[in-house]
Amino acid sequence: MSLDMIVNWMQATLRWSVPLILVSTGEVFAERSGVINMGIEGIMLSGALCGIAVSFFTGGVFMAVLVTMALGAMMGLAVAFLTVSRRTNQVVTGLMINMLAMGGTNLLFALLSESRRTRVATFPVLFPQSMHNIPIIGPILFKQPISTWVALILPILSGIVLYKTTWGLNVRAVGDNPQSAATVGLSVIKIKYQTVVLSGIFAALGGCVLTLGEVGYFASGGMTAGRGFIVLAAVVVGGWDPFKTALACLVFGAADAAQLRFQAMGSVIPYQFLQMLPYLVTVIALTIMVEHSRVPKTWGAAYDRRDV
Amino acid sequence: MQDITKRFPGVLANDRISLECKKGEVLGLLGENGAGKTTLMNILYGLHQPDSGRIYVDGEEVRITSPSKAIHYGIGMVHQHFKLVDTLTVLENIILGIPSKKLLLDLAPARKYLLKLCEEYELFVDPDAEVGRLPVGQQQWVEILKALYRNVQILVFDEPTSVLTPAESDQLCRAIRRLTAEGRSIVFISHKLREVMEITDRVTIIRDGKFIGTIPTREATQLKLAQMMVGRPVSIVRKPRPALEEKKPVLVMKDVNVSDDRGVPALKNFNLIVNAGEILGVAGVDGNGQRELAECVVGLRKPASGTIHVRDRQITDVVADPSFVGFIPEDRQKTGLVLDFSVSENLIIKEYDKQPYIKNGVLKYPVIKKHARSMIEKYNLKTPSGEVKVRNLSGGNQQKVVIARELNLGPVLDIASQPTRGLDMGAVSNVHDTLLSERNRGAAVLFISAELQEVMALSDRIIVLFRGEIMGDIDGETADVSTIGQMMLGHPLEVGI
Amino acid sequence: MKAIKKPKFIEVPFIGELALSGVRPILGIALGLLAGGVLIAVSGVNPFKAYKAMLQGAFGNRYAFSNVLVRSSPLLLGGIGVSLGIKAGVWNTGIEGYMYLGAVGAAVVGIPALGLPPVAHIILTLIVAMAFGAAWGLIPGYLRAYKGVNEVTSTIMLNYVAVFLTSWLVAEPQPLAEIGSFYPMSKLFQESAQLPILVRGTSLHPGAFIGLAVCVLLYFVLRYTPFGFRTRMLGFNPNAARYAGVNTRKQIMLLIIIGAMLGGLAGAIEVTGLKRRVYMNFVTGVGYESVAVALLAGGNPLGVIAAALFFSALKAGGATMSIQTNIGAPMTSVIIALCVIFVIGVGVSERRRLGKVQDNEKSEAVNEPKIKEEENVT
Repeated sequence: MSLDMIVNWMQATLRWSVPLILVSTGEVFAERSGVINMGIEGIMLSGALCGIAVSFFTGGVFMAVLVTMALGAMMGLAVAFLTVSRRTNQVVTGLMINMLAMGGTNLLFALLSESRRTRVATFPVLFPQSMHNIPIIGPILFKQPISTWVALILPILSGIVLYKTTWGLNVRAVGDNPQSAATVGLSVIKIKYQTVVLSGIFAALGGCVLTLGEVGYFASGGMTAGRGFIVLAAVVVGGWDPFKTALACLVFGAADAAQLRFQAMGSVIPYQFLQMLPYLVTVIALTIMVEHSRVPKTWGAAYDRRDV
Repeated sequence: MQDITKRFPGVLANDRISLECKKGEVLGLLGENGAGKTTLMNILYGLHQPDSGRIYVDGEEVRITSPSKAIHYGIGMVHQHFKLVDTLTVLENIILGIPSKKLLLDLAPARKYLLKLCEEYELFVDPDAEVGRLPVGQQQWVEILKALYRNVQILVFDEPTSVLTPAESDQLCRAIRRLTAEGRSIVFISHKLREVMEITDRVTIIRDGKFIGTIPTREATQLKLAQMMVGRPVSIVRKPRPALEEKKPVLVMKDVNVSDDRGVPALKNFNLIVNAGEILGVAGVDGNGQRELAECVVGLRKPASGTIHVRDRQITDVVADPSFVGFIPEDRQKTGLVLDFSVSENLIIKEYDKQPYIKNGVLKYPVIKKHARSMIEKYNLKTPSGEVKVRNLSGGNQQKVVIARELNLGPVLDIASQPTRGLDMGAVSNVHDTLLSERNRGAAVLFISAELQEVMALSDRIIVLFRGEIMGDIDGETADVSTIGQMMLGHPLEVGI
Repeated sequence: MKAIKKPKFIEVPFIGELALSGVRPILGIALGLLAGGVLIAVSGVNPFKAYKAMLQGAFGNRYAFSNVLVRSSPLLLGGIGVSLGIKAGVWNTGIEGYMYLGAVGAAVVGIPALGLPPVAHIILTLIVAMAFGAAWGLIPGYLRAYKGVNEVTSTIMLNYVAVFLTSWLVAEPQPLAEIGSFYPMSKLFQESAQLPILVRGTSLHPGAFIGLAVCVLLYFVLRYTPFGFRTRMLGFNPNAARYAGVNTRKQIMLLIIIGAMLGGLAGAIEVTGLKRRVYMNFVTGVGYESVAVALLAGGNPLGVIAAALFFSALKAGGATMSIQTNIGAPMTSVIIALCVIFVIGVGVSERRRLGKVQDNEKSEAVNEPKIKEEENVT
């Protein structure tokens, strides 16, 4: 493999990891507070379409991001209402949100079919053209859109929030022992709502980046292609730690990127097998790591204030 | 607290209970398991809302709608089941929930204040240790420090000594005295008479959710308190029994090492023989290996080394054969029963795939129902029918279902792990009679209980567990409380009796 | 302490249960349809007209109804497959993957001319399909039971793998692929391996009836066999199941594999009865719909029949609706999802709560969330 190809691959790795890292940021907080938001796949999908649509009609990327975040917050709120207030099963709720989003985006996409032909405004690149030509790191880092830089800083930031702030401490306590959090006067329900809404916002944002980061178009209902579930796996593999989860996302992103590079190269391996790569890597990583990770104690369980 | 009433669906947990705790005193709250003590205190702490009644703090009526309100009024609580987050450090647990204006955690001043509190009350803990890895006793210190950090004026202890070694209990007493000397008030919940006598200034007794009375401790005697608590005279007399015929070993454990769920050794080089026709009582403070002992004998927990034999059979897998080993597990709701199954189904969960309940691969429900009817009659189960879900039975009747299933086929070994926990007096004595008749039938009975009184009343032989080791093996007939108490402290028996 | 008193009628066996379990789904479905109607109205179509078109599309004539039955076949089999898992607290969301593998298995023995008589060839095809599905289900089953890997994630990841595997197999130059086709697809199945059409002029194949039979069979298996007893025990209280000597890991793995076999069967029926070939991406979304079916049924095999027929009527009617009113066909999956969300969101099961307060024992934080997950379903 030539250096050029490696650089190319690393650049693509970063690009494909960015949506995953964004989505995982929110999901880590939700799961740390005990709620598995399995609806992130659907929220991602909705965010992807929403970003494209707003960008298409208004031409503003910033506007698109804002509206997408609002949509994500709404969907997160719906998940929170169902799983936290109504104590519905988290798996079921997530799967049905996904189904709803899948159908909904397909419906709306049919209405927006003109946008299929048009490339809309995408995220700006932060650094000047001159820096793109710096060997190796130029294309890998400086040619990236702004979203990549956000995604690189985000894990550090969310690590600080989770481990060094009062709110982060509250989230960790709620996920491990909601009863004790309640007895010291914290509102468990409120904190869970906050984290789940946060996971909704980031999931929508991740979807938005998937479309506005580079490609600039919405492919179809299946365009997230299970990436939400890959993020769910990354969170487990990363042991519910923002930084390690981001690393896991990078690995999965690398598999995704490798798959596309190899296909472009026309390798001897049939491309269908390359397409499987990210999914296989996810299952294998999950299998290896699952025994070593420490699950938040009330992961996936419903909380009732009356359980004293 | 005045005229507090609390109803749960179908249960009147507190019926117009009043109590009063003065500044700087220790008030004992005494009652049997299930008498409503914990419910009452949960109301005080804002975890439950009373259906009627008032609460006054410093003469002013208050409405405590949440724990944060309780903390606001200076009320703190040390719960029976600790409300600590295992995965956080001591310091993080202590500052958890304290409102802070700063965005980032400010740990340095908190650490300083905590260390000062540790020093002051002689309750030493490492602020940076992870709570889940601390011994249980120290976890309790964390609970107490958590309340003190919030500068509470009224501190409620819910059964604090049930997890402590006697030495730790003494330490707790010293801390309590210091607290009252500072003018703080303590409510001390317990069902153990001795410690109530030792530590409290006055005692309030409740029974079946009703207020019985409040008396100054110095005017009380253990016997008087016991009578108020139980409602009839009690005696710690041993039940009469025929003499043991010949010693035939049934359960033989050799050099067994077992770890608990966290991987910490729970039984160390454990050797034990239980003979046919004897009740071997296992005494000791909860959490010294009793649970693991029971679980490894029935094959639910694999020993790291050593062998376990029942008769000639080595125990390697789960023993689900009630004609061989009967097992009354410690937690009947979590392990012993399927609450959503009917009584008749619960009676056969170990034998559903055996004759006569199955024929040609199909369950024979008429036979299963008939079996249930005969069991209901034989064991005097109070249930509308065998088709009612076990969830809807009372605790005593649920235990009867377990007993009927486990003992009906006359196993050679009975293991009863805390079989009377949470039951009322009638049900307790029923369990005792059953175990005794099992012994008289010739079964070997391994009887594990944290209640010293019932161990002494029932056992032919008593062993005392401390940190996974046997402190001594004494005859039940001649055992006395102080010897066993010493062994529970971790002092091995010096000379054999 | 005293036992909890429940309203008298609940204790009447069967009718009480039915009343308790029936109200919630019906209310939820009504709300789901209402919300769907609002969405239809928002997109500018009279919802009454749309639903009328839907009804006609599902029950208007015998062709319409046969279409409903054809569509119900994978939902019945997939739904019962998922339900089995739900009964024991396992989320077997891999139906789509199993269907692909089943179709592949069917193609391996159904496309070459083996010289077998029709009935034997069909049976062989279905059996091989089930074996392929089972082999695929072995992976998430083993990982869940013995390694603790969350089955939802692993099955959904494997669904994608199965899709790509199938795409590869039906693309040239693989031997099964049709030569010179415009879209990746396999060769035609042998006549002898194709399921018969039951009513001339329709596409009604026996798949729906096979599905119905499997549902009824499993209803009895769950109720009256030791296997069913173990499954239910595991679902209600895994600790007690272990204590009663059940090998819980093996049981979990078995349940996932049986679900996978049924998924494989569903896939085979789809290709031998309806499509006659294995196309690339020949099913999309049926896996999720199967989960919805199982949920609406609350894991009850007889409920699966009702839920599967309801959803397939929605789907068949939805196709007609989309032709007549210009509402996109995906509206049906939106309505299905809404129905399930309302069903689970409408009533919070109070039963479990009552049980908790009854004894004074406090239930501590859950250590095994995976197993507790299904409280709202059963």
